[in-house]
Amino acid sequence: MTIKDIVKKVFLVEILQGMALTLKMMFSRAITRQYPEEKRAPFPGFRGLHALVRNQDGTARCVGCGLCSAVCPSKCIYVYTSEGADHTKVVDRYEIEVLRCVYCALCVEACPFGAVVLTEHYEYSDYSREAFYMNKEKLLSNWDRFMAGKKGEEYFKRFWRPLSSDFGSPEDQPVLRGKDKGRGIQ
Amino acid sequence: MDIIDFSSSRILFTLIVILLKVAVVIGLAMLHVAYATYFERKVIGHMQVRMGPMRVGFHGILQPIADGVKLFFKEDVLPAEADKWIFRISPVIPLFAAISSLAVVPFFEGFVVANINVGLLYIIALSSLGAYGIAMAGWSSNSKYSFLGGLRSSAQVISYEIAIGLSLVGVMIMSGSLNLTEIVQSQQGYWHGMFLFPQFIGYFIFLVAAFAETNRAPFDLPEAESELVAGYITEYSGMKFAFFFAAEYIGMIIMSAIAVICFWGGWTVPPIILRALPFLSVVPGIVWFMGKIYFHIFLYYWIRATLPRYRYDQLMSLGWKFLIPLALVNIVVTSIVKFFWQ
Repeated sequence: MTIKDIVKKVFLVEILQGMALTLKMMFSRAITRQYPEEKRAPFPGFRGLHALVRNQDGTARCVGCGLCSAVCPSKCIYVYTSEGADHTKVVDRYEIEVLRCVYCALCVEACPFGAVVLTEHYEYSDYSREAFYMNKEKLLSNWDRFMAGKKGEEYFKRFWRPLSSDFGSPEDQPVLRGKDKGRGIQ
Repeated sequence: MDIIDFSSSRILFTLIVILLKVAVVIGLAMLHVAYATYFERKVIGHMQVRMGPMRVGFHGILQPIADGVKLFFKEDVLPAEADKWIFRISPVIPLFAAISSLAVVPFFEGFVVANINVGLLYIIALSSLGAYGIAMAGWSSNSKYSFLGGLRSSAQVISYEIAIGLSLVGVMIMSGSLNLTEIVQSQQGYWHGMFLFPQFIGYFIFLVAAFAETNRAPFDLPEAESELVAGYITEYSGMKFAFFFAAEYIGMIIMSAIAVICFWGGWTVPPIILRALPFLSVVPGIVWFMGKIYFHIFLYYWIRATLPRYRYDQLMSLGWKFLIPLALVNIVVTSIVKFFWQ
């Protein structure tokens, strides 16, 4: 043991250094956030509560193809459709069990029309499980509450663009395009 | 107050004065306990770069009152397998011992509930009496965590009260008295006005042993929450828990008070400072006394925020192999110096 070590031990140098550090930290600003008063703005593209997109004319954009339901890894999306007048497909029920969702956003990626999205809203705690069982009306009202107007458009450009628009065939390539071509995203 | 005259009006007057003093001391001590918890949470919170209680009142200033109300109305759980009477009695013992110790503490010149000549011994005796309550609580709860906590506490207090007693022997030798008021007054005979300087080894040993004696971090093994849930208070709830809690905090105040009285000159200011700045004599003694006590209580929090808990064998070897021999050396050196130079 060198003299330095002995001095260190006798005068408790390391403990005093630690105490100096804690005293210094006492006068530094707290880094914690006083949550309900001080909210943290979500980062752009944050994946929060689900919503069904409403078109300008007030109708739901969803066509009931069921791709979201098929791709969902936790199988928490239920889509029920029936045949309506003029042989069109009518979405009777569109339900998401939010408590089972893992917020992977694969449904958003899978949707060819950009009809289901994850909004930035994250404060939706409640006392019952029923409150987290989202039906079509609730999902549409989520859109109205959190993403209607300019904000939703902005988000479509940045995060919710259907991936088919990135990976589609070139226009000059002869492919089978359905009669509904152009009905989706304009 | 020392000479009791047995004419009836005198004795009544004396009694009323004593009771008033007791009420003032206990009331202030309880208020200090409440706000000691608040400042502990605040100080440790800020040392950990967070804010501590913030909800009740401005910056959480009413938190201790809310805590008190909660504890008062909380369900009083009695474990089915507990030894019921010992379980009920044991919270009272530490609180009783802690509050009784306040009786001999001189807060400022002439203000002491009982000016007895064995004040220092009385406090040391009562502080070890409190450990019985903890050991009984640990045993009567009939839970393994409580039992381990009680065992640890009794072993810890037995080892460290030797060190605490021996560390104060130096002070006793220098002042020639066990009366706390006389200890304070004897320190005024030195230019530095504090036994802290000649007795720095005694002060260091006293501080370490006081931390262990009051079961505070880094020696909080009896209630080590990471291993024993809450140690001896695991099975306690409501006011019984509050009694243990209050006893621990009054114990801290008592230990700080002894440190201030025996090493920091009590309510007095060092004569050298008083000579340099004569206007300081206007400040009442209670301000100096409480200021010094607050510093020591802050030291408790500061250490708690800095140091991790000792392992049990480290605790024992520190007490028996280091502090007690060091205290003995301190006594010998102090005696020799006293014998040859004074």
